[in-house]
Amino acid sequence: MKTRAASASIISETESSANLLLGKTGRPGLPLGRRLSRTGLWFALPAILFVGVFFVIPQVLNLRFAFSNWTTYSSEIKFNGLDNFASLIDQGYLFQSIGVTITYALIAMVAQNVISLILAYSLKDSTRVNGFFRSLFFLPVLLSPLAAGYIWRGLLAPDGPLNDFISLFIPGFDWAWLGETSTALASVALVDAWKWIGLTTLVYIAGINSVSKELLEAAIIDGANAWQTFWRVTFPMLAPAFTFNVVVTLVGAFSAYDVISATTGGGPGNTTRSLNIILRTQWGQGNFGTGSALGLTVTILVVVVAIPLVWYLRRREAKI
Amino acid sequence: MKLRSTVFTRLRVIGLTLFAIPWVGIPIWMVIVNSFKTAGEAADLDLSLPKDWSVVENYMTVIVQGNYFQALGNSLLVSIPTILAVSLIGASAAWAFGRSRSKGLQFAFYVIALSMLLPPTLIPTIFLLRQMALDGTTLGYILVLIGTRMGVVVFLATGFVRSMPVDLEDAAAIDGASRFQVFVRIILPLLAPVLFVGSVILIITVWGDFFFAQFLIPGAGRETLPLSLYSFANSSAQSLRWNLVFAHVVMSGLPLVLAFLFAQKRVVGGLTEGALKG
Repeated sequence: MKTRAASASIISETESSANLLLGKTGRPGLPLGRRLSRTGLWFALPAILFVGVFFVIPQVLNLRFAFSNWTTYSSEIKFNGLDNFASLIDQGYLFQSIGVTITYALIAMVAQNVISLILAYSLKDSTRVNGFFRSLFFLPVLLSPLAAGYIWRGLLAPDGPLNDFISLFIPGFDWAWLGETSTALASVALVDAWKWIGLTTLVYIAGINSVSKELLEAAIIDGANAWQTFWRVTFPMLAPAFTFNVVVTLVGAFSAYDVISATTGGGPGNTTRSLNIILRTQWGQGNFGTGSALGLTVTILVVVVAIPLVWYLRRREAKI
Repeated sequence: MKLRSTVFTRLRVIGLTLFAIPWVGIPIWMVIVNSFKTAGEAADLDLSLPKDWSVVENYMTVIVQGNYFQALGNSLLVSIPTILAVSLIGASAAWAFGRSRSKGLQFAFYVIALSMLLPPTLIPTIFLLRQMALDGTTLGYILVLIGTRMGVVVFLATGFVRSMPVDLEDAAAIDGASRFQVFVRIILPLLAPVLFVGSVILIITVWGDFFFAQFLIPGAGRETLPLSLYSFANSSAQSLRWNLVFAHVVMSGLPLVLAFLFAQKRVVGGLTEGALKG
């Protein structure tokens, strides 16, 4: 109870000092700050143009193409209502690949955040040993997702190192992790998590180290043990890092493509066929309208899932 | 108390080591040792040392048949302009967003921040590049990367600008420095640490990009390293030739790993200290 009160007061203190730093008080009247708002546009203009042309315009165009008959053979791009979505549903592509994409994203997000939190907590102090391990776990981050895919395709092969190890206990174990419908999707999602865990871990370490020492000491003086200090003090204070990591990993995994290309290519059957994998085949067949519809589906997934999630997690941060 | 904490530290290091061996150690070992083997031996995918060493042959095949140096050059040609442009353009926009209270600029800031979250759309991007006669060109790919990866840098740097006191800028302005001079002499140096963190995140995603590269720069001459790895791995009709695939993984991973080894203190330090500002 006491720690709660202490943390609340410390938060409000840091907030007010942050406001001072941010110049929320007393900014009016500063000469440059004022004048910049007039010429500021010129400094922001290049960024606005680049994002406007190469990010915003394609998003708007996609709203048109997703509902159009555009193919290699069409002479003009015409509105065709929901035909693209209807044909994707008829062929059994749409809901199946949405399911694959969401499952992939959830597995990758949960694995990545749980493992990163544990690693971050054990590597939180900046010692030489920890520096070594932080760098070591960061190595997979540097690899391209494609390379990560090939590496794990080797490790998970029926006669690969993982099964060789399991065979020490279960002789002759030769499960095809990526070739069996029951394990392929989870395997590729975990490869994705493996590739990014080093980065998520560093973000959590930054979060853990931003928890004030006084607060932790207060908790220990009040008789909290390590487990309690973590769950009652550190974890709640980690809220911004948690929001950031959960959202970034989930949203990133909705665009699942690279690791799948290097490992299963969408198979076995259609068990790892994510939205972007079908987009690729539709593009290859010249079905640009249906391809755009699949791209729009990824965007909608992000909007429907990520924005409420950011809102919820932010509110949770505010409550703590 | 002292004894207990040293016991804890030892246990922790042992635990971390036991985790790191299968997590990073064995994957790296498997890749390197198999990249030294002959095709037949590497097909077994085990962790033993090669009986027949085939180092030079394998790596020469990657360099010659895989067009390694061309792909490396293409990757540099894409990454370096992208990072320079995003850092400069992003920093100047962050200064404007951080200091201005104009509603229009605030709206632009939110749109750019949103571009971090929403996935860029592929097919309309190709359509747009086609209208500009830039589809399939390295320049078109670079422009798209600049426009779609700007968000992170703008977001991080704007947070940083807002936490900086304006005194320095004011003093310089009173001394008669122009807006542009203030930006180059004062703002850019102050933003250097956050731009470094942004560049690290950028280089990782740009260097490894496969999805967009596959659509925007198809064709042999412009291949970046991931595209080269993919076409190299799929060049044999049957199963993968693991010795060659792994040799390519080593060669295409090496530039970033080497750069990281030189700058690891700054990279890890920067990401653990500056990543979440703002």
